[in-house]
Amino acid sequence: MEIIMSILAGILFTIGIYNLLQKQLLRIVIGTALISHGAHLFILTMGKLKRGAPPILEYGISEYSDPLPQALILTSIVISFGVTSLLLVLAYRASKENNTDNMDQLRGNENE
Amino acid sequence: MLFAVFIPLLIACFIPYLSKFKDKIHTGIFVLFVPLAIFIYFLQFIGNNFAPFSHNYSWIPSLNISLDFYLDGLSLLFVLLISGIGTLVTLYSIFYLHKSERLGHFYVYLLMFMTAMLGVVLSDNVFVLYSFWELTSISSFLLIGYWHYRERSRYGALKSMLITVFGGLSMLGGFVLLTIITGSTSIQVMISQTDVILHSPYLPLIMALILLGAFTKSAQFPFHIWLPDAMEAPTPVSAYLHSATMVKAGIYLVARFSPIFTTYEWFFIIVSGIGIVTLVWGSYMAVRQTDLKGILAFSTISQLGMIMTMLGFGTKAAAFAAVFHILNHATFKGSLFMVAGIIDHETGSRDIRKLGGLMTFMPISATLALFGTFSMAGVPLPFLNGFYSKEMFFETSLHLNDATLLIAEIMRTGIPYLAVFGSIFTFVYSMYLFFGTFTGKNHIDELPKKPHEAPLGMLISPALLIIGVIIIGLIPNIVNESLLAHAAQAISGEEVHQHIAFWHGFKAPLFMSLIVVIVGSILYVLRNKWKNTYLLIPGKLSLNKAYNAILDGSEKYSRKITNSYMNGSIRRYIALIIVAILIVTFTTMFTTNGFTIKMDDLAEVTAAEILIAIVMVVAALGTVFARNNVAAILILGVVGYGLAVLFVFYRAPDLALTQLVVETITVALFLLCFYHLPNLRPRTESVKTKLVNATIAIGFGALMTMVAISAHSSKWFTTISDYFVENSHDLGGGDNIVNVILVDFRGIDTLFEIVVLGIAALAIYGMTKLRDDKGVE
Amino acid sequence: MSNLAVLPIVIPLISGILLALIHKKIHLVRILAKIFTGLNLIVSLYIMYDVQQNGSIVLESGGWNSPFGIVLVADLLAIVLVVTTNIVALACVFYAPKSLSKQQEEFYFYTFFFMLITGVSGAFLTGDLFNLFVFFEVLLMASYALIVLGGGKVQLRESIKYVLINLFSSMLFVTTIAFLYSVVGTVNMAQIAERVQEVDQKGILTTIAIMLFFVFGTKAALFPLYYWLPKPYIVPNPVVSALFGALLTKVGIYSILRVFTLIFVHDPAFTHNFFIWIAGFTLIFGAVGALSTNNIKLVVAYNIIPAVGFMIMGIGIYNEAALSGAIYYLIHDMIIKAALFLLVGAIAYLAGTSDLRKIRGLIHQYPLLGWLFFLSAFVLAGIPPFSGFIGKLLLLQGGLESGEVVIVIIALLSSLLILLSLMRIFVRGFWGEKDDSIQVNKKAAQSFTIPVVFLLFFSVLLGVGAELFYPMIESISSYLLNPEIYIESVLKE
Repeated sequence: MEIIMSILAGILFTIGIYNLLQKQLLRIVIGTALISHGAHLFILTMGKLKRGAPPILEYGISEYSDPLPQALILTSIVISFGVTSLLLVLAYRASKENNTDNMDQLRGNENE
Repeated sequence: MLFAVFIPLLIACFIPYLSKFKDKIHTGIFVLFVPLAIFIYFLQFIGNNFAPFSHNYSWIPSLNISLDFYLDGLSLLFVLLISGIGTLVTLYSIFYLHKSERLGHFYVYLLMFMTAMLGVVLSDNVFVLYSFWELTSISSFLLIGYWHYRERSRYGALKSMLITVFGGLSMLGGFVLLTIITGSTSIQVMISQTDVILHSPYLPLIMALILLGAFTKSAQFPFHIWLPDAMEAPTPVSAYLHSATMVKAGIYLVARFSPIFTTYEWFFIIVSGIGIVTLVWGSYMAVRQTDLKGILAFSTISQLGMIMTMLGFGTKAAAFAAVFHILNHATFKGSLFMVAGIIDHETGSRDIRKLGGLMTFMPISATLALFGTFSMAGVPLPFLNGFYSKEMFFETSLHLNDATLLIAEIMRTGIPYLAVFGSIFTFVYSMYLFFGTFTGKNHIDELPKKPHEAPLGMLISPALLIIGVIIIGLIPNIVNESLLAHAAQAISGEEVHQHIAFWHGFKAPLFMSLIVVIVGSILYVLRNKWKNTYLLIPGKLSLNKAYNAILDGSEKYSRKITNSYMNGSIRRYIALIIVAILIVTFTTMFTTNGFTIKMDDLAEVTAAEILIAIVMVVAALGTVFARNNVAAILILGVVGYGLAVLFVFYRAPDLALTQLVVETITVALFLLCFYHLPNLRPRTESVKTKLVNATIAIGFGALMTMVAISAHSSKWFTTISDYFVENSHDLGGGDNIVNVILVDFRGIDTLFEIVVLGIAALAIYGMTKLRDDKGVE
Repeated sequence: MSNLAVLPIVIPLISGILLALIHKKIHLVRILAKIFTGLNLIVSLYIMYDVQQNGSIVLESGGWNSPFGIVLVADLLAIVLVVTTNIVALACVFYAPKSLSKQQEEFYFYTFFFMLITGVSGAFLTGDLFNLFVFFEVLLMASYALIVLGGGKVQLRESIKYVLINLFSSMLFVTTIAFLYSVVGTVNMAQIAERVQEVDQKGILTTIAIMLFFVFGTKAALFPLYYWLPKPYIVPNPVVSALFGALLTKVGIYSILRVFTLIFVHDPAFTHNFFIWIAGFTLIFGAVGALSTNNIKLVVAYNIIPAVGFMIMGIGIYNEAALSGAIYYLIHDMIIKAALFLLVGAIAYLAGTSDLRKIRGLIHQYPLLGWLFFLSAFVLAGIPPFSGFIGKLLLLQGGLESGEVVIVIIALLSSLLILLSLMRIFVRGFWGEKDDSIQVNKKAAQSFTIPVVFLLFFSVLLGVGAELFYPMIESISSYLLNPEIYIESVLKE
């Protein structure tokens, strides 16, 4: 199952990157969201999957899923949420100010 | 000696203050005493019994950089030149520079230069030498750019700096290699380890790097091009830096290191080869110049070439001749520059085509110029020092060391002829310089000022130098044993005793001199007949053009190169970055056999999970094809919820819950921000772009998957999580291990994760409220 | 006393929160910001002194034994960089009021500023890879906030690019940490190092190492990852540019330095040689970029790139002299880059444009500014006796000791190009005829000058007084060459 999940996460990365390479801002932001989903899935997969119970101690159970990746993902989800929110507002403001949501028109004259 | 080196710099600190009184007292008067005092101090060391000595001062001992000053004959000669000519030039400048000029700046730069130049010739530590070396470049830059409102001055200043700093950096490379090989930063210690250096595989590189430094500084072909443009500096500066001292720093460097390299045949080939080419080219080009200072600049180039040639010979006699000529050149060329400055000052022009017949207006200057030019031409008269060293040059060129390499053998034969050939042109431009300026028909009506003789004070310095020319001419051995012999000894490493005499009998050098005078006279008289050769050589070829092309090209091409990839397109940037990651990481993975896959120890595959996975993939793909903002955002939500379901499957209830909440809020935010923005358009890019994008994306996904599988198949260690499981209850006081980790074991992470959220909130608040755009762009 | 190590993180954190609460009382905020920054500098200096005397401070947060909790490791390298960070911060905080608009100040500039310092210090001090990621996010989020602060069209446009690239590399970072965790079962750097050593960095580990290199390399703006850097760095206020130029890329370089001297040191023939190649291209393309533009701010921004090139060169050569050179250069560059950004910011402000073609003869109006720029150009180009020279000299020595002649020659040539790129500004912008259209604004010039002088003082001191610092730097590099010391100090059984 870990291999399938790795492939799934890889596919999420692939589609995320593909969206990231588009011109329209919305697609790009969607791309970043997909990539972060992929990243979190990778982290989870890197702990072993489905070994033992959920990591909440109960009497009589000695096998638990690896809790550390879960903790890391939680931190990461929250951070991604912050960044994504900021990016969303930024994207909105930038496209309003510049009257376009096309990154090709948001190049600027790089060396002036 | 520390004091002697740094006193000019110290005084320079007071100059800005002193220059406030420049209306009452010319600032130069304060400055005058500095080089004079140094000159007098060092005069005491002249003597037959002089022995080298050193003073050491600690600076950065842990890097072996210390202010070790070493005074031997060679340094002494240079120190006396620097301070002696420095005194005369300062004196001259008092009359040359009007009080309305920015005197403070001028003298600060000049004093800075003195310290730098004294430091170069006195430092025994290569890195300290390098430091002073760059300081000479910097002060030269400032002095050339003194009248920086002139375009030419700015051009000349930048050019001289670039070329000399380039050489300096190269020299630094050579020095570093030398310190690594010899384990010392002291030049004297390096000389004592000559054998080690000569057997090092880096020998050619070391020599090339150091010589590049010397050649650029001493304006050797093809790096000489900065010197004519340096003539934009005020004339005292040209006389001082660009004739008598700074340009001889390269000569000094070669002389200083010649005990190491002299037995290495390529040293002869390169130093003498470049030297003789410079000699010929400089004197040939000097004839073509029309600016007095231009002639003198090319003349200086040529004379430096001559000294360089002699240093390459590696014989004792040549070493002696070289130091002798260093001294002689300083006297006659210094005075000629000053006379050129006088002419410029009194007539308002330096264009030799507009000058002529000035003898009657400026008799004293003319007399001084007569001695100077004739000495430079090497006219055989017993009261002109130039002849002596010129003849010694011919003499030494006939007695070269045996050669083993073919090219050295060819040079041995050719050098005497080239020496004569170059000297003929030296004769021609010397005559041209004198007669063109002072005799013939005058054009005073065309001159900006009515010419008259210079004030007495301005004539003192050139006159003193010409007296020097005559004294050395009459009593050529006056400082022979007491100074020159010591200097030559420092170069050749052995004791040198050379008697200087006017008459050697009817031998080859005499005939060479006669040929120079006779052919030179003919060529001078007929110069209008052959000047068309300049259309052929150099014709349109010009090293200046090459420099300009390189400089302009560096801007033009760097702009082209940079703009070609820095086009502001985020897609391009991300694509380039990912491609780089793909290439390197895949290469790494295959060369280090990184990829492994283990099929055992895996969780079982269940249909439900597969189903969720498929849903997620389909939804993710949907985002690519969606045409409607709301639709795209909602199917993105599907992926997020799918992930939450997977979290449930994989025993991560907290994650699932968080993911659900976060995903919901994110989707809402998405809708809020993008609802009013234009709808998604069909992707209009070409099929090729689509393919490229797809390849990059798939490549990256594949890479991540492969690394993930390998990493998962390489679980070589037990994880630290076991500790959390064991201690969560007892030590952490909680049963939800993930929570305990978050708030306790890894509390810092959580604290700063909240900080991140806080900053994001403030930033978003700022973005929505603060829209006033003041002063940006 | 080991709790000391947390102060450089906590002081700016608290300062930032406090100043957010009183953000409307702008005069008070300005004064407090200066006081807090000064305090933080003093505390850092004290910690540096303590570390020098008593060795690294290892702080196990929450009292959890490493490798299980998060450790903060204030070794000499980390604390020296923290001190340098605070020096830069102090200059910036004095420069800020004149440079920023009042609205920008009111909209939490100082909070973001302190958060940036928090993140940077945290990144230097942490001994935990995932925690490094968290601090990266803190400093990145603060930088996002600063870069968009009060921005218009252009600023927002460039901010998006900046955020996107960093977001991408952050995701890659966190994923790579997961991969590494899977292999070695820990995120504590000392333990990772120990375990990587145990298996001799075999299998997938080198690949993971290279991926980490790319993560940090993107932040550090190395070839071929630096495209995002120049333009976004010049659109915000000069203070922000200075903070970015001085600190952000350096955190990337620091991370590479740390990871590739502590953890992935078992296949230098592959990894470190690869860095030398990277260094060569970074030096060339960066210097070429600096020559390519007439925008004076952009010239300085491009100059960040060859500077990191020098540092990665030192890491790649990987001997004592070269590492010392890289560290020296790192410290030097933090200071001089801040000074240069502040300077060109002042020039652009006073001349009313950052287009070199429209500036001339500024030295007539602003002589001091001109000479400071002149001095900075030489400092940056590594002309003795200033700070850049010592670093460069050590790098050359290290390079030639290892027989890396080509990279040394490239380094020398790029020094020349760097000098040219800045002297162009001096010759064309400061020299020349007086431009009478420029109104002299003495007061503004003065308030811009003082922070720059403050920074340049350190540049000169680091060069002329190298004896005061070099032995310390040398001990850092020999410490880095013996990763066991770090490992033992953290994992003391």
